[in-house]
Amino acid sequence: MNLLDLALRNIKNNIKKHIMFFFSMTFSVFTVYTFLALVQNQQVNDAFIYDGRYRAVLLAFGVIIMVFVMFFLISSNNSFIKARKREISTYSLFGMSHGRIGKLIFLETLLVGLTSLATGIGVGIFFSKLTTMILLSVTVISFSGDVALDIDLKAIYLTAIMFISVFSMMGLSGLWVINRFQLVDLFKAEKRSEGKGKGSYILLIISLILIGWGYYLASSNNPYNLVMMAIPILVLVISGTYIFFWGGLPKVLSILKRNKRKYYRGVNLIAITSFSHRMRSISSVMATIAVLSAVATTAIATGFTLYSNIENNGYDTIGYDLFFYAGEDDGILQEVEEIFSRHDVEITQQAQVPLYRTYPKLEAIEIEGVTFYNEEYYFRVYSQTAYNELVNMSKSKIAPLEIASGKAVWFIRADVPRVMEIMKEQTLDFTDLNIEVSDVLVNTFLHFGSIYSLVLNDEDFSHLLLENQIVKEDKVGRGAGEVNVFNFNNALQNAELNSDLNKVLYQNAGGYRTAYSHYSEARETFGLISFIGFFMSGVFILMTASLLYFKQIMAAEEERHHYKTLRKIGMDYITEKRAITRRLLPVFAIPLLIGILHSIFAMKTADTMVFSHLMPMGNSYRKVLFFSSMMYGAYGFVYSIFYFITKGQYRKIIR
Amino acid sequence: MQILKVENISKIYGSSKRDKEYMALKNISFEVIQGEFIGVMGASGSGKTTLLNILGSIDKPTTGKIIMEGKDIAKYSKNQLSTHRMKNIGFIFQDYNLLETMTLKENIILPLALHGTKINDIENRLSVLVKDLGILNVLDKYPYEVSGGEQQRAAACRALITQPKIILADEPTGNLDSKSGKDLLHLLTYINDEYNATILMVTHDVFAASYCKKIMFIRDGEIYNELHAGNDKKQFFDSIIDVMSVLGGEER
Repeated sequence: MNLLDLALRNIKNNIKKHIMFFFSMTFSVFTVYTFLALVQNQQVNDAFIYDGRYRAVLLAFGVIIMVFVMFFLISSNNSFIKARKREISTYSLFGMSHGRIGKLIFLETLLVGLTSLATGIGVGIFFSKLTTMILLSVTVISFSGDVALDIDLKAIYLTAIMFISVFSMMGLSGLWVINRFQLVDLFKAEKRSEGKGKGSYILLIISLILIGWGYYLASSNNPYNLVMMAIPILVLVISGTYIFFWGGLPKVLSILKRNKRKYYRGVNLIAITSFSHRMRSISSVMATIAVLSAVATTAIATGFTLYSNIENNGYDTIGYDLFFYAGEDDGILQEVEEIFSRHDVEITQQAQVPLYRTYPKLEAIEIEGVTFYNEEYYFRVYSQTAYNELVNMSKSKIAPLEIASGKAVWFIRADVPRVMEIMKEQTLDFTDLNIEVSDVLVNTFLHFGSIYSLVLNDEDFSHLLLENQIVKEDKVGRGAGEVNVFNFNNALQNAELNSDLNKVLYQNAGGYRTAYSHYSEARETFGLISFIGFFMSGVFILMTASLLYFKQIMAAEEERHHYKTLRKIGMDYITEKRAITRRLLPVFAIPLLIGILHSIFAMKTADTMVFSHLMPMGNSYRKVLFFSSMMYGAYGFVYSIFYFITKGQYRKIIR
Repeated sequence: MQILKVENISKIYGSSKRDKEYMALKNISFEVIQGEFIGVMGASGSGKTTLLNILGSIDKPTTGKIIMEGKDIAKYSKNQLSTHRMKNIGFIFQDYNLLETMTLKENIILPLALHGTKINDIENRLSVLVKDLGILNVLDKYPYEVSGGEQQRAAACRALITQPKIILADEPTGNLDSKSGKDLLHLLTYINDEYNATILMVTHDVFAASYCKKIMFIRDGEIYNELHAGNDKKQFFDSIIDVMSVLGGEER
């Protein structure tokens, strides 16, 4: 019998375990191939506005997935080999050299690997039309639904090369594991402790303090602090998590052991001792899963939430379907109107509002060396009536204002609480009038070229206009003129109209935005993120779950004699079942629960940073939580499938 | 007092259809009385381990009765058997089979924990036993941290803690050097004397068997002979050797 026959026979005998490899590898091959093929796909590249950025993002995530897959495949494979220690030592006993055994194991890996490589690429090609269509329909607005089947040789070639090198690394590290086996181990049962972490109170407390501190910082309501603190929060929580799994969890178990009433129940005794015995070999994996699942869930839930809110966000950011101002010549408006009639698009709302500026005196605002206001700044200024007209026409959720005489509302572009506090205390000094700032609000689209805007009472406004305190031109005599705002039908669907508008406005207008452009850029970005996130989380779930599976199979091989003894001293079938459940459930559940806890806080941070601040939206926290609970639902589902498969295998092994 | 009565048990392996059946035990009957220390001897393949497994209710006889406390154990269901094993039978295995994931204490109380005994009860029974067998100081150590003798005694404690009707020992000296083997035999004798524990030990080691009070020899699944220890240990030893040489067993 040559090595190939033996390898094939081994695969056949261990088919269930190999199938686990096969599935997780096939899915990662599928993902990597799909990413590479999409990077190469001309049609997709043409459809994207920022095709360079698109390729870079997709490639970067492809590389991240590859590294991740490599790490998990190698450790899964090593656990698998350890689980087969008995078999491998037997080969060794019959005189097979370690090199030859390594070759045999490598051959098995290669056979399963190449099969999954071929299957993964095959599935990738088969679904390439579908994946391209999905990508285009989530990212590109005017996607017609027609995609050519594209078999990309370069992508196949690259995927194959990458995975074959991963398989080779698996083979090498497997050889290293085999070389460390001692033949004597075959004859000795696993007598030595594999290293039960004893844990310590200090580590437990340190880990809780680190995590708690991270949580405390993360739940701050100040987005600027959060931006500054993002890295410290990550460091605190991640290090806290690892320390918890390394030193804290074993201590928790030993605290549990003190409750003798519970601990001295047979099932708990068996489950807790063997779980704490495995602690060291599995704690890093559990910590990694907890951290990664929190990061992935938060990122993807944020991405999905952003994606689902692009339309609302868009209007909150730019207000109208179209605005432009500061045209060089007066013919623009006419030209724009011509374009509309040429495309046969009805303008539903249209307004022209003159743009004024003003230079009141007030003290310079400076925080920690950053200037927020000095005499070089100016304000865009509106009367209450003009402001309310603009706001009422806009598609944002901003409400009209009523302003008392002698008061003003100061608008800034972004939510900066510390600065806003100071601005609120200011009095604007005009030559014959002092106006108090009554409120500071955020608005992103009404500035039309300036940094800040003011809204005044109508009478104050006309008084200051008469006094020449409010002017149209700046100090060198250039004015912003009027702003023209439009709302029209099907604004987010009409690509041709948008490109014609862009052509005219790009050359002639001082500043302009179209909802369509904004919308399509946002869709492109967040659609791509969501698309990548979906695949990443798929690879991630499968890889981590199968690693846990292999680790537990390895443990089952080593714990088999326990159950033999236990049955002899009178453990019945039901107790055995319950003991195994209690033994395995924590391995799958604890990392997931800690991941959920992490991401609840991470989501709060994302909410503060992104949604309350950069892109305000209602009920955002609830929405993010909803998406992440969907994600965790999916995680929980896949994990419980793996848990039941593991349990079944475990029971079969110890029988 | 009679502890156990075996009536006509037989064990047949394999299926009768293909004519491949093999009769490991043939109509064996005997009684075990409280406080006996019985050795079961026989050559490899004589059926002694099968007998032990059946007595320990790990295996079921094909025909026959095993009566304990007036009930036939051969008729018990799987779960009844588990309870029965827990309550009535203590095992001492060849490698002690202490679980390496548990401390000695946890190993010893395991049968009681599985049974759901109250903590006070557990602690009381434990403290009496471990003081007596001298492993009080190493209770919180793991098996690989203590000496072989201490492991032995812990295994004996585990077998004794349920106060079983009978202790079954399967080649307990098989893996031991002569010194440890001797220690274990002294321990079994001590348990037998002090606790009036009933012990049934399977062995093919003549020296080990010479510690028993009574020896049953098995050949080809049948009881071939019985020997009772007299006052003279040397003479008992010699007569065991005589029987074994006929049976074809080995000697140390």
